[in-house]
Amino acid sequence: MYKEKIVVILIISLLLLNIDCGQNTKQRKEDGKVTITFWHSFVASTIPALKDLIKEFEKEHPNINIKAQYVPSGDALIQKLITAIQSNTAPDISWIHSHFLPDLVDAKAIYNMEEFVNGKNGLSEQTYNNIYEPLIQYASLRDTLYSIPMEATNLAFLYNKKMFREVDLDDSKAPQNWGQLRKYAKLLTKDKDNNGEYDQMGLFLPIYPASGSLSGWMVWQWFPFLWQAGGHIVSKDQSHVLYNSTAGVKALNLWKDIYNELDLEKFTSDYDIAFASERLSMAMDGPWNLPRYNRLLKDLDWTFAPLPEGPEKKATIVGGEYLVIFKQSDYPDEAWSFIKWIIQPEVQAKWAMKSGYLPVRRDVEKVPEFKEYLKNNPNFKVFIDQMEFAQVQRKIDYHGLQITRHIAQAIEEATLGGEDPQVTLDRAAKKSNALLQSVPKNEK
Amino acid sequence: MISNNSSRYFNISKKVLMHVIIYALAIVTVAPFIWMLLTSVKGMEEIFTYPPKWIPSEIHLENYKEAFQAAPFGHYYLNSLAVAITVTIGQLITCSLAAYAFARLEFWGRDVLFYIFLGTMMIPYQVTMIPSFMVLHWLGWVDTYKALIVPGLASAFGTFLLRQFFLTIPKELEEAAYIDGCSRFKVLWRIIIPLSKPALASLGIFTFMAAFNNFMWPLIVTNSEALRTVPLGLAIFRDRYLTDWDLLMAGSVTATLPILIVFFFAQKYFIKGITLSGIKG
Amino acid sequence: MKQSANNPLNSKKERKNLYTGLAFLAPTLVIFTTFILFPVFFSFFLSFHKWNMFSANKSFIGLSNYIKLFSDPEFWRVLKHTVIYTFGTVPLNMLFALLVAIVLNQKIAGKKFLRTAFFTPVIISPVAAALIWRWIYDPNLGLLNYFTGLLGIPAINWLNDPSAAMFAIIIMGVWKTFGINMVLFSAGLQAIPDSYYEAADIDGASTWSKFRHITLPMLSPTTFFIMIMSMISSFQVFDIVYVLTSGGPLGSTKVMVFYMYEKAFKFFEMGYASAVAYIFFAILAALCLLQVKYMRTKIYEVT
Repeated sequence: MYKEKIVVILIISLLLLNIDCGQNTKQRKEDGKVTITFWHSFVASTIPALKDLIKEFEKEHPNINIKAQYVPSGDALIQKLITAIQSNTAPDISWIHSHFLPDLVDAKAIYNMEEFVNGKNGLSEQTYNNIYEPLIQYASLRDTLYSIPMEATNLAFLYNKKMFREVDLDDSKAPQNWGQLRKYAKLLTKDKDNNGEYDQMGLFLPIYPASGSLSGWMVWQWFPFLWQAGGHIVSKDQSHVLYNSTAGVKALNLWKDIYNELDLEKFTSDYDIAFASERLSMAMDGPWNLPRYNRLLKDLDWTFAPLPEGPEKKATIVGGEYLVIFKQSDYPDEAWSFIKWIIQPEVQAKWAMKSGYLPVRRDVEKVPEFKEYLKNNPNFKVFIDQMEFAQVQRKIDYHGLQITRHIAQAIEEATLGGEDPQVTLDRAAKKSNALLQSVPKNEK
Repeated sequence: MISNNSSRYFNISKKVLMHVIIYALAIVTVAPFIWMLLTSVKGMEEIFTYPPKWIPSEIHLENYKEAFQAAPFGHYYLNSLAVAITVTIGQLITCSLAAYAFARLEFWGRDVLFYIFLGTMMIPYQVTMIPSFMVLHWLGWVDTYKALIVPGLASAFGTFLLRQFFLTIPKELEEAAYIDGCSRFKVLWRIIIPLSKPALASLGIFTFMAAFNNFMWPLIVTNSEALRTVPLGLAIFRDRYLTDWDLLMAGSVTATLPILIVFFFAQKYFIKGITLSGIKG
Repeated sequence: MKQSANNPLNSKKERKNLYTGLAFLAPTLVIFTTFILFPVFFSFFLSFHKWNMFSANKSFIGLSNYIKLFSDPEFWRVLKHTVIYTFGTVPLNMLFALLVAIVLNQKIAGKKFLRTAFFTPVIISPVAAALIWRWIYDPNLGLLNYFTGLLGIPAINWLNDPSAAMFAIIIMGVWKTFGINMVLFSAGLQAIPDSYYEAADIDGASTWSKFRHITLPMLSPTTFFIMIMSMISSFQVFDIVYVLTSGGPLGSTKVMVFYMYEKAFKFFEMGYASAVAYIFFAILAALCLLQVKYMRTKIYEVT
């Protein structure tokens, strides 16, 4: 009996004690240097640019080390952030998506960025005003700035020029308005082998499962159409949603008509592969894919152009990634100095040229190297030019995640599900409004 | 005579048919992997062709070179192996002990405890993940090898599996040992364990696979690059290369093939199992 | 606690038995309590609270989460999908696994290759498996449509067709997991003493009757184990759905754990997610108890 017990105890102690070989990563100060941990999820093609950026910063700031750590994106990033906050292992700076802000703010996990912007080592008014307004909006929550944009993106139109020529279209002009968009899409869709199925698709529309990780990306691409038709997402006082207005129905009807005419239901969702293998003529995409496309599409005759104009106006959507400073950071001031450094015009210019992202401020266009770069990279210039009619979006301040999901469901139900856009949008709006009405008045 | 002949003929054709069916099934099962292997050495142009082209016209081994440059798979492998082996050995020990208690010992509260064990398997892992993480944090184990290993050292599944197997072993074998004056522990070690080799081997391989392929847990409990495991490396790889299929497949093969080879050679240990133990004779 | 006269722990022998039992269970219990039992109870506690996981305060809201859950039509839809997946996967899975295990228990050429081939899907990391299957199911370039096309079947957009997507998930589910059950069945088959079959041969029993009267009954503890485990694991299917369809198209493949995961990690409603987990637990436990009852009568029947 005793022997047995001894063996058991031995086993437990072996298991618990003998594997103590982990290391603590929170040691920061080594030989007087401060180490700032920075989490991000940049794609492979951006990593060299990031490394150069950090090297340069460290050269100018010999007392600060930047430890950039890749964290898988999407859900993985949010899970890491939650657990890091819970366990006091949050990084100093993290790269986040705008829709994480409400929860991070409510948890009091991140600094109010205005403390730094207006602080001793703050930003000049001129700098602040040079940052594109839509970005400032996304970086804020309920009119308070909680983050600083690191780079900007927007949505433009991608097309294959050779395919345009094949159907006698002017290959220097993308569709200019909704009518042309629909016409071109139909014209460029072909059943080459006459088997009753299209093997060349005119236009790709991003219809993804509303519950999937790409549903935000779908809604993001639909918003420009809503705005082009003169619509809004939400009312100014945040009391109800407006996306089910006539404008919203028009925008969704356009998508639905094209979706049905091209039989997009049967088409792959890997649009970039389809475009690269010349089975797709037109799509919408962002600038982050430019470095990839330059490689992937090197044998194709392709170009980017601005989005077509809507019945009411020109519009595109702006996105970006935002840097936050965690309250758990031991060196918030050093973290801020990195953020402040990164949004300088010269740094932004270099970062943009190497990474393919857009600068976050207007005056970068005055940097001589950048001017030269724009001349030689017309595709990149399309995105920069589009920033001028990028919409200042009325942000959804409350229940943004749920409301985005409602819109995604409406889009999916109207296209793939074949329902009437007015019906699906109204159904979604009813759910969204119920949520907005549940927000206590004094919170607004 | 005649009937004997025809029955032999019948037997042979049955045998041939069995081979044909099982091999066809095996080929279908393994086809996705073969496709992955072949794609990993194709050039980007050949990946897009339709109808699909199985055999690449040119072997692009540089896909592997690039895969290894993008992520230190060698290092990830060491981590994954260290974690998976420790967890497997630990679990075999703890589960055998617990399963023996549930299968053979009679004590107050045994069945209740057993049902609690079973019950916990029915609570999805995703909802207990955050509380488990909090425990690790209280212990100060976040971002250590302990965090990757210790929670995996006990398993309700393993305990249940072994208990079921122990129940099939005839009790008479043990009774003789008791008469000889063996202790409970000795009976487990000398009689039950040797008889349970196939079950232990099965549990071993499942535990190893699960620990090796686990993605979510290593993701949330580690921060340092130094502690990353193969699935994490692969996920990062996938995030970074989006739809660059040649590289993605090279990364996937790198993450899969070594384990497949180990399985191929290690299987004899758990297949022989019981024939050696003598119960069959 | 006052010990009553009929407390079983009163007798010395009983107490000794308890200590022996606990000694064997100790290593498991320590780890189990810390990393499994505590979190399980903690999430039960959470199911009565509202908590977004970021903040330090959790507010008690009583049964609200449970009430909300039962009035959510999506919950019922999700439950239906989970049941369809389970009853689509488990029988297929077990049938294949048993068939392959029995064949591999015969004299057959290339056993080593075959066993590895059937186990390959288990070994492939889920991330890699998802990548490859997404491609197989691609409507335009995919292998599956290529082969069905050769047979003259029109192309199907497997993952984008609400009536085909669940089917696609089930196929991949069976493919990915039946290797585990094959190994378990193999272990079970090997434990059946040859002498039983030899005796049956002398009696001139047919192959079928040997299978029916020796193999099946002798295998029943293994079958019982596999059945319960397959039920639990297919009820908890998540990875495959997450990587292949993300619950779409039109929510047609949204299963229970996906729904729960979404509540927790997309909308940060940890309390609600915990309530889902517990309702889910109750349903699963009821199903398993039914199994246990059914199997018990079966086992008695044959012995």
